[in-house]
Amino acid sequence: MVSKTEQTQLERLENQVDNGGGGAWEYLCLVRKLKVRRSEKVLKHGLSILNDHRKRSSLGSEEWTLYEQVAVAAMDCQCLDVAKDCINALMKRFPESKRVGKLEAMLLEAKGSWAEAEKAYSSLLEDNPLDQGILKRRVAMAKAQGDVSGAIDCLNKYLETFMADHDAWRDLAEIYVSLQMYKQAAFCYEELILSQPTVPLHHLAYADVLYTLGGLENLQAAKKYYASTIDLTGGKNTRALFGVCLCSSAIGQLAKGRNKEDKESELQSLAAAALEKDYKRRAPATLSLITTALKSLKVSS
Amino acid sequence: MAEDLVLDTPIRNWVLIPLSVVMVLIGVLRYFVSKLMRSFQVPDPKIVKEGQVVVRARNLRAGANFIPAKSFRARRFYFSNEENGLLHVPKGQGQNPQAQMFSDPNMAMDMMKKNLSMIIPQTLTFAWVNFFFSGFVAAKIPFPLTQRFRSMLQNGIDLSTVDVSYVSSRSWYFLNLFGLRGLFSLILGEENAMDDTQRMMQMGGFGFDPSKNLGAEKDNLDIMQHDWAMPKFEQRAEAVLRKLVH
Repeated sequence: MVSKTEQTQLERLENQVDNGGGGAWEYLCLVRKLKVRRSEKVLKHGLSILNDHRKRSSLGSEEWTLYEQVAVAAMDCQCLDVAKDCINALMKRFPESKRVGKLEAMLLEAKGSWAEAEKAYSSLLEDNPLDQGILKRRVAMAKAQGDVSGAIDCLNKYLETFMADHDAWRDLAEIYVSLQMYKQAAFCYEELILSQPTVPLHHLAYADVLYTLGGLENLQAAKKYYASTIDLTGGKNTRALFGVCLCSSAIGQLAKGRNKEDKESELQSLAAAALEKDYKRRAPATLSLITTALKSLKVSS
Repeated sequence: MAEDLVLDTPIRNWVLIPLSVVMVLIGVLRYFVSKLMRSFQVPDPKIVKEGQVVVRARNLRAGANFIPAKSFRARRFYFSNEENGLLHVPKGQGQNPQAQMFSDPNMAMDMMKKNLSMIIPQTLTFAWVNFFFSGFVAAKIPFPLTQRFRSMLQNGIDLSTVDVSYVSSRSWYFLNLFGLRGLFSLILGEENAMDDTQRMMQMGGFGFDPSKNLGAEKDNLDIMQHDWAMPKFEQRAEAVLRKLVH
């Protein structure tokens, strides 16, 4: 997670570097520390340091870290020649290194020679079967080849050991949603809510999955999770507002007046009012559309 | 009370400053030596997994009220059932860390290396300080202190009449030993600085039993009451929206 102060610091430095104000090395350090993805900028500014002999030698041993960073960024931008140059420089310096070996395997992966990359990763894993980075690269590789079930297998194997890694759970959840395996996705989202109970996006995604699953119980639960999203975002999330409206309309259809307690709740009409207000303020042209849509759902009072 | 002692300038030049410089140099040297001797250890998958299980179970305990009761019960069963629950440690199988240490020569070797890089230079410098500088009053701090500080600042001088604000050379050695962390973090970089106090704490913390951790977590899960928080959220969302609309 990037905190707000770090975010502003990053933006300030980025602006400064882009406008030629210097501080490129500090910017690159910050990007590395926050683990944000700014590949194009890293490539541009990193190369400008690496190509300048005086600047490069003033970094001392940090030079090699920069080579690694630029290599990864270059692969992300598909500048494979640059990446190759960087990796060759690193190879010359650290001939036996596993870390450089990983970069080489990543280069193979970026080139699309899957079989060779797989071989390289496997040989690296033999030395350290618990290297999280490599295990994740394998998932990414399976995804890049369009082998979704392979990616699921890899992720499941990874999560068996590293079961507290919420990013992996999120990845798995998204894959399951894309395959319409909603029950499995719901499980993953529950796991995400458990590890980060105050992140509204997990609540929202879980509610979406529950709504899609359907059935009275799931719909009621979905409505509750949309409600919690509204609470956590302060009512600013349009998707959650719509979700509440859709859920209560679907519940109304399913329950057909059997369920008295749901009728009493004001939530859906409030959500509809909030939606109308939001549209009036930000997109007045579409207000009539939204009013009729909400009327047809029988939620606006 | 004794009159003010006058400290000779050679004492400053030949005791106080050399002592500090030597301590810093030894610290730096030791950092590089331990860096050379550090061996990369492949972590044991079982231990890694146990750590992750505990984290996940803790998450479950902390966030239980955010997921539906059915999901919570399923997870609890997964963690703590008696047959193959992740947190269930069969009796007698929890291995003794000490026994494990001796069965794995690598581990003992590592410990020894750590000990070597810590104890040998320490004994040597202490002996050196004792041999050359014992009994010196090396410095004077500019403010008065109470009698209780005597053992801290005047180690090695058995005179009760000397004012407590004088620091003996041996005490100066100890102050340096424990107080140079800030300087090391400047010289060696933020995360590399590790002073002896920390090292000692690490040694003390060695040998805890992960299976005990698992058992405690299981007990905590077993006695948990699940109380779904979501219905409350509906009311809170209503309140939020009401504020927003009106």
